[in-house]
Amino acid sequence: MSGAAQSTASTTKLQDNNQDQAKTQTAQPQKPAAQLEEDDEFEDFPVEDWAKEEEVGAQQTNTHLWEESWDDDDTNDDFSVQLK
Amino acid sequence: MAFGDPSQAVQAAAGSSLSRVSASSDDSQDTLILTQTEYLDRPWLIRHLRRLNEIGKPRLYGQQLSALASHVEQQLKPYLGRLLIDVLEDIAPILAATLIQARFPHSLSYITGMAQTPLLGQYLVQINGFISARNETSLADWIALEPPFNQHYQDMVKELQAAYPRGSDDALEQRCTAALKAAVEGDDGSPWTSFVKFMVQYLAYLRNVSAEASRYLETYELLSELQQRANSALSHATLGHLILPTVVMNAKLVCRLAIGLDKQPELIAHLRRSGPGAGGGDEGGGRETLPERAANILRQAFVTCLNDRVSGLNAQGKPEGKKKGIYNIANLCLKILFQCRKTRNATQIFENIYNLSPPLSAYPKRQRVTYLYYLGRFLFQNSHFYRAQLALQHAYDESPARPECARQRRHILVYLIASNIILGRFPSQELLSRPEAHGLSDRFLPICMAIQRGNLAAFRQHLDLDGPHAEWFLHFRILLQLQNRCEVLVWRSLVRRTFLLVGFRPTDTTGNKASTLNIDHLVSAFQWLEDASRAQKGGEDYTDPDFEDVEYDDGGFRIDITAVESRLASLIDQGLLSGFISHRLQKFAITGTKSKGGDAVAAGFPQVWDVLRLKTERAGTDDVPGWKKEVVGGFGGGQRPGPGMVFNLSGLRPVGAVG
Repeated sequence: MSGAAQSTASTTKLQDNNQDQAKTQTAQPQKPAAQLEEDDEFEDFPVEDWAKEEEVGAQQTNTHLWEESWDDDDTNDDFSVQLK
Repeated sequence: MAFGDPSQAVQAAAGSSLSRVSASSDDSQDTLILTQTEYLDRPWLIRHLRRLNEIGKPRLYGQQLSALASHVEQQLKPYLGRLLIDVLEDIAPILAATLIQARFPHSLSYITGMAQTPLLGQYLVQINGFISARNETSLADWIALEPPFNQHYQDMVKELQAAYPRGSDDALEQRCTAALKAAVEGDDGSPWTSFVKFMVQYLAYLRNVSAEASRYLETYELLSELQQRANSALSHATLGHLILPTVVMNAKLVCRLAIGLDKQPELIAHLRRSGPGAGGGDEGGGRETLPERAANILRQAFVTCLNDRVSGLNAQGKPEGKKKGIYNIANLCLKILFQCRKTRNATQIFENIYNLSPPLSAYPKRQRVTYLYYLGRFLFQNSHFYRAQLALQHAYDESPARPECARQRRHILVYLIASNIILGRFPSQELLSRPEAHGLSDRFLPICMAIQRGNLAAFRQHLDLDGPHAEWFLHFRILLQLQNRCEVLVWRSLVRRTFLLVGFRPTDTTGNKASTLNIDHLVSAFQWLEDASRAQKGGEDYTDPDFEDVEYDDGGFRIDITAVESRLASLIDQGLLSGFISHRLQKFAITGTKSKGGDAVAAGFPQVWDVLRLKTERAGTDDVPGWKKEVVGGFGGGQRPGPGMVFNLSGLRPVGAVG
C-alpha cells in the first residue's frame, strides 16, 4: 500500500468524524423522549443487539399481560338496569 | 512489436522496459541502470518518463510531459526519497498506467485534471487498496454519504469542482478506471466495473450535493441514482459484498429523504402534476409515487442479498456476506411503504423472505424486532389478527426493556393491544401501567368496557368517526378494524347479558329442556341501543338541501326480528354463541349445557379468546407467513431453497380441509 503514513493520518481523521456523527445521531432521538406523544415513524433502535436479560419478555413483571376471562355476571350495574 | 496498435505498443514497451530494469541492473543495453544508492526523485522520474515516452506512439511533448511529471510526482509523494530498488515494483505499474492514460484519452485535459487533483488521486489509491485487501469496513468508512463532510472531503470536493465540473463525468470515469485497478481487475476473471461506475457517481454526488433544505429533492435524486449504482456493484458475485455496508447506509438516507419529501408535498408538487420524475407511465392506472419508487430501488438491493448463492450462515449460525443485508434493507423498504401508506407493495417482500431467507433468529435483535413489527402491522391490515398478535407479541417480548426504547415499545404495543382486543383478550392493568403504555388505557379501556357489558351505544360513541378519539385511531390506522371486528363481540355480550337478565333457564337441568332466550327481548335490547347510539350523535347528520323537505317515517333505524336473527346466526357461525335459532318459536336456544355441568351461560357463551385461538390452531394457521423460523428440514445441510430445487410437500393439507 502506498502512502502509509498519510493514510493512517486521514483514516484517523475520518473515524473521528464518524464518531462525532454517531454521537450526534444517538443524541438526537433522546431529546424528544420526554414527551411520549405519537410520532409517525418507528425509529430504529439505538443499539444493534442486546442481552436476553434485557428483553421485555425476560423481566420478572412480565407475567400477566392479558385478560382472557372478562365476562361480567353482575347485572346490577346501571347499564343492565336500563337494559332491563 | 505491433506498432500499428498504439495501446498495445505502449503497454508492451512500458512493461518490458521496466521489467528489464528491475530484473537485471547490469544490462548494458539499458541506459536505465539501478544502483544500490539511487533514490527516487523528480529528475529520475522525468528521465524515466522521457525514456518510456520514446517507446510507442503518440508521444507527449513539452508541456504535456512536464505536467505528467508533476502529476506523477504528486501521486508518488510517499515514495520520494526512498531507495529505487525498494520501491520500483510499486511505482512501475503506476508510471506505466499514467503514461498510457495520458496518451490516449483527452491528453492534456486529462493530465491537467490529474495534476489539479492530488487529494482525489490519494483518495482513489486508498479505495483501490481497500478493494484489493477486501476490506469492506474501511471501504464503507471512506465513502462518507451524509453531509456535512469533514475537511478532508471538502478539500477533495474543491478539486473535483475545479477539475471535473458537471458534464465531465467521462473524464472522471477514465480517472477512476485508471486508479481503481483492483476493481477493474476484479476477482476470478470477472471485473468489477460496476464499482468504478459507482465511484464516478459517488464523486459526482460529493461534487453536487447540497445540505440546504430547499434542495432536498435534488439530494434525494442524487442519492437514489447513487443507490442504483451501488445496487449494481452489489450484484457482483464475489466482490459485491464489499459494498454492502455502503448500500445499507445509502439506503437509510434514501429512506429518510423519501419519507421527508412525502411529508412536504410542496417540494414535489411539480412531480405530481407532470414530469418524467414522477415515474409511472402514460398508460393510465396508478402512477408510481416518489416513495414507491424509492422502495422499489431499495428492493433491488434486497433481492440481490436474498438471492446471493455464495454466502449463507457461518458456523455460529450468523449470516455472512450479502445475506447480512436482507432484513436491514427489507426494514427500510417497509418503513417507506408503511409511512407512505403503500403497504400492498410489502406483500412481495414478506413472500420473498418467507421463501428464501435464512431464519430471522440468525439476525441481530434490532432487525428482528423491527421486522416483526412491520410484519405484524401488515397482518393486522390484512385481517390476520391472530398471526399479527403472534408476530407483535414476539417483537414486544424481544424488545429491550431500557427506558430509551419506550417509543419503539409503544408502537408495537398499540398494534398488539388492538389485535388482542379484536381476539377477545384485554390488556391487563399491569400492562397498561407500563411507561410505554402511558395514555393507552384512555383509548382502549372504553372499548373493552363496552365489549364486556354489551353496550353498543358506548362502543359506537367511543369509536365514532367524529369523536375525540377517531383521529388517534386513524393515525395508527386501526379504527376500521376495531369498529368492524369488535362490534360482533359487543353483540355477543349483549345477547349474554340479555340472557342473564331475562333468559329462560329450566329448573330441572336433567331434562331435555334447553335454556332459551326470546328473540323479542333481543329486538328490544338492540333497538334501545341503536336509538341511544343515534341520540348521542344528535341530529347533526348532514342532509343535502335537495332532500330537506322529504318526510321520513320517524327517522329511526328499525331493528326487527330478521335483523336480530341474522346477527345471532353470524355469532353462531363464528362459534361465539353455542346454540341454534328456532325461527318458528322466535327463540335462541343454547346447546351443550349438560357438558358444562348444567351451566347454560358457560355453554352458550364460550370465551371469545378460546374460540378464536382454537379455531386458528385447528386450521393449522398459527404458522405466520413472512416469519421465517427455521431452515426447512427438507433442504438438508447448507443447501438453500432456490429455483430448480425439490420442496418437501408432506406438510400440505388437501384443499378445503379444516382441522
